[in-house]
Amino acid sequence: MNPGVLLAAAGAAILISILGAFRAPRGWLATLLAGALAAAGAATWILTTGSAWEWRSAFLLGGQAVHLRLDGVSALFLALLAVVGGAAGAYSREYWADAAHSCSAPRGRAWWSALLLFIGLVLLSSNGLHFLIAWELFAVSAFFLITLDARRREVRAAGWLYLAASHTGTLALFAFFSLLATRTGNWDLGPMRNHTELAPLFWLALFGFGVKAGMFPLHIWLPSAHANAPSHVSAILSGVAIKMGIYGIVRFSGWMPVPDGAGWLVAGVGVVSAVLGVAFALGQHDLKRLLAYHSVENIGIILMGVGFALVAAEHGYPAWGALALAGGLLHVWNHGLFKALLFLGAGSVLHATGTREMSRLGGLWRAMPWTASLFALGAAAISGLPPLNGFVSEWLVYLGLFDAVNQPGAAVVGAIPAIVLLAVTGALALACFVKVCGVVFLGAPRSHDAEHAHECGGWMRGAMLVLAAGCVAIGLAPFVFWLAVHAAVAAWRGIWADAPMPESLATLGFVHMGLAASGVAGAAWLWWRAHRHGWARGLTWDCGYAAPTARMQYTAGSFAGIITEWFSWILLPERHEHRPTEEFPQHAEFEEHTPETVLERVIEPVARLVMWASGMARRLQHGRTHAYILYLILGLIAVAVMAVSWSR
Amino acid sequence: MNDWLNLLIGLAMGLNLVALGTGRLPSLIRVAALQGVVLGIMPLVIEHELRLLGVAVAVATAAIKGLVIPALLRRAMRTANIDRDLHPLVGFLPSLLLGAAGMIGAVVLAHRLPLLPEHHESLLVAGSLASVLTGLLLLIGRSKAISQVCGYLILENGIYMFGLLLMHSVPLLVEGGILLDLTVAIFVTGIIVDRIQRAFDSLDTRKLTVLRE
Repeated sequence: MNPGVLLAAAGAAILISILGAFRAPRGWLATLLAGALAAAGAATWILTTGSAWEWRSAFLLGGQAVHLRLDGVSALFLALLAVVGGAAGAYSREYWADAAHSCSAPRGRAWWSALLLFIGLVLLSSNGLHFLIAWELFAVSAFFLITLDARRREVRAAGWLYLAASHTGTLALFAFFSLLATRTGNWDLGPMRNHTELAPLFWLALFGFGVKAGMFPLHIWLPSAHANAPSHVSAILSGVAIKMGIYGIVRFSGWMPVPDGAGWLVAGVGVVSAVLGVAFALGQHDLKRLLAYHSVENIGIILMGVGFALVAAEHGYPAWGALALAGGLLHVWNHGLFKALLFLGAGSVLHATGTREMSRLGGLWRAMPWTASLFALGAAAISGLPPLNGFVSEWLVYLGLFDAVNQPGAAVVGAIPAIVLLAVTGALALACFVKVCGVVFLGAPRSHDAEHAHECGGWMRGAMLVLAAGCVAIGLAPFVFWLAVHAAVAAWRGIWADAPMPESLATLGFVHMGLAASGVAGAAWLWWRAHRHGWARGLTWDCGYAAPTARMQYTAGSFAGIITEWFSWILLPERHEHRPTEEFPQHAEFEEHTPETVLERVIEPVARLVMWASGMARRLQHGRTHAYILYLILGLIAVAVMAVSWSR
Repeated sequence: MNDWLNLLIGLAMGLNLVALGTGRLPSLIRVAALQGVVLGIMPLVIEHELRLLGVAVAVATAAIKGLVIPALLRRAMRTANIDRDLHPLVGFLPSLLLGAAGMIGAVVLAHRLPLLPEHHESLLVAGSLASVLTGLLLLIGRSKAISQVCGYLILENGIYMFGLLLMHSVPLLVEGGILLDLTVAIFVTGIIVDRIQRAFDSLDTRKLTVLRE
């Protein structure tokens, strides 16, 4: 047995599952899970042994020999792909069932397998041409998954926006790989850090992969695609697909030379994405759109880790650089796990109530205890609360930054504000998830749909339980997972391989275990007391009113109002209000909506200008042959003038 | 020899202006025919000694450009029952002025081009450029298909004059190519004229815009 056999088995299983997607849903799920398990096995092999697997074949594809490679960096992402892909695939069996979606469910299964296969190929291929092919196929299969429910107009719009943005990024990648191939003489990828002339190409890679990763301000496609896709698709988009952008940045900053100062830019983009991502999340009223903006935030945290690692590599500080990178890479896993969990939870709410609008939800904890508890666990994890995994990775980033402050050098100047802003991000994320959990799961139902919600079934619950277990495991035993992250760091920079595990990581693990044990003990005690004394049910937030109604509760907007006010310079909220003035007010209303600032204030005006110019250019084509001949003459004269002026 | 040639070229350039200034289709066709005949004579003037082939080519050119094609055009004009281009896109006076300006421009340009020494004295290049410009002006400015055919003819005449520069190196090839070109162009335009007439009951090419997508 070696990783190659496992990978071949995984690939074969996924291929078979594509065949089974239309006729045999059970066979599809079985082969999909088997494939995911095999891939996870291969990734675990690489991560525990710290070795790398490489396979060169004589088989030509597009004139290039197939060259596959699985090392620490790609194995880390492959493991995440296997876990999230398997869990969310199982979830889709109930969530997007044949009974409700007779036409799109089989299609969805086939594209799901295809997506996993192509992401896997992106991770494995070590040839620029094959990387591009796999990347494009991955983007296209994600498009078909996003637009699974293509009858809805906003789904189609989100799909097109995703496709356009994705291809803008791919265009930059085409330039990147072609220039790389022309400068090095072949398409083969691998370590080439001594070719210092390749450094400027990193900017192209950063743009191309940055669009996919959804870093601010290239995140324009992300909120609508995540919000409108079916929830299991949102889970893999947020959990794995956008991480492929991170993979690209980490992969090529590890293999290739990086221009001076690129680390600062990456870290700066990370800080901006983190703070603004959470600020935009606070302004959202749509549950899934809010989660989507948290993806921007978490990508920001990951990029902070990667960016400071690049800074450390440039100035030669392996000790704290390895910590920052390890924090960023562990956050890739953590965000993949808890964000997938949250999206599956949101999907289960959507499945039960038919709405993502938070102002129509409320009081769901009573009807959906499993979903609510698992969602709350994910919320605690994403807010970076101990003893869960979000705290571990953010804490590693903090450790790296604190060590950077202690070292002499320019890094101090950047590290201190980064620490402050990371803390601000964590606090705002906590506020945001208090809002979500409070508005969606606590209080009284705000609508008929929320009143008649029902708990999800076994498949959906099971998938969420697997992801939640992952979150808890990383939180309780961080030193086990340090090995995996360390293998990735060693694959990124060989000379960082001997970075020691921070001693406090073990301590953190034990503190977390203690916290968790006391938490479980406290919960058991409360449970016991409740059983003994019985429950007394009352309204939340009745505020002393004699006859409170569900409409008197805090809404999502009013809960976050103070914080969104601080960020109104970038959120640019649109308000329509009609205040009551007279003693017996007849009419009063208040409505607030947070636009997609970058998309609506920057991209759309530019796009309108381009459309206007194209419209003007179209008027040149009117069908009058006389004028066409005139164009010919003008063209001829222009060519003649050019020829004459250049020959001089 | 050059004097005779330049005289003929001057005549052709004058005919260009007449073509631009007239609105009546019969006179336009007559001008094009006359220019064809003038062009037919030119090779005889250029050649130092008359050979049978050269004479045959000259006679064929003059016959086709001066007789056959104009006859075809006259027939088309009679079938379509029109004899005037009443609504030109560019008026007669402006096109005349533009043509004159183009002619001056052509002469100036021909002087500045890096030509072979033996062509410095002749007006061939200037005349050819002026005729091409005149042809294009007719194509742009006139609305009736028959005027446009005449524009094509004059444009081809310009190209023919340019081809005369190469008379000594590849005489027969140039002649044959140009004749073939012209014949095809006239055939195609003849068919188009017929179709336009049938489809729109008019020869106004502006109505062709309804064909766009």
